[in-house]
Amino acid sequence: MTQPKAADVAPVEIDEPSIDTNLDIDRPWIVLVWNDPINLMSYVTYVLQKVFGYSRDKAESLMLDVHEKGRAVVSNGSKEKAELDVFRLHEHGLWATMQQD
Amino acid sequence: MAFGFKRTIQSKGPNRFIINLREDLRQVIAAVCDDVLGALDDEEAPNRDPMLRRVFPIAHVSDESVNEAYRDLVHSDLLRTRREALEKVSATANDAELDRATLETWMIGLNTVRLVLGTRLDVSEDGFPQLEPDDPELPAWALYEFLGVFVGMVVDALARTA
Repeated sequence: MTQPKAADVAPVEIDEPSIDTNLDIDRPWIVLVWNDPINLMSYVTYVLQKVFGYSRDKAESLMLDVHEKGRAVVSNGSKEKAELDVFRLHEHGLWATMQQD
Repeated sequence: MAFGFKRTIQSKGPNRFIINLREDLRQVIAAVCDDVLGALDDEEAPNRDPMLRRVFPIAHVSDESVNEAYRDLVHSDLLRTRREALEKVSATANDAELDRATLETWMIGLNTVRLVLGTRLDVSEDGFPQLEPDDPELPAWALYEFLGVFVGMVVDALARTA
């Protein structure tokens, strides 16, 4: 993520999360948002507030996790819920993926 | 005075926003939306044009069956809502005032343009690169920076009235 006048920051390496291939339908799915160099930090915060109804503090803290750690879990639930959440984040241009926890 | 300075987006409560933008910048906003609309001309566009990959991301980092199911489920909706947002921004680019829903559409539509342009420019966290004055990429970088500043103003106006 970036700011309108971005300070020099080191690129964040994105490690692919380890994927458990053991498919257990009872295990919930998680939705991740990944750091990207295009979306503004303020934009990501606002979208997380709007899509999930999170408080400004919670949305900002998730955004900072994304920015500093490369990704953050923003929601979880059934596969159908995760698909819907990913869709709404994609509609807003965030880089979101889902995986079984 | 040739250049007056006013807050670019003045909020009059949570549902009314005055847009103080020069005519020429409004034309730029409409033109970039029309450009991206042109690239989204049909269902197959995202498969054809790698510059659109950030507009139509994958849903799972490695499971192709999840990605396929997700694409089947949402692709046409995602394409339609992208197009509708860009059309709306282009159609309202000259409006002096916007309601909240339309300003949110500007935020999403212009962010879509930034995603396409940023992908084209291969933007990294390093920000604006050192470019020679005659570098053919320079105008696109200037446009990208303008859109970043402007989207930041839109987000700020929406956030402070949320």
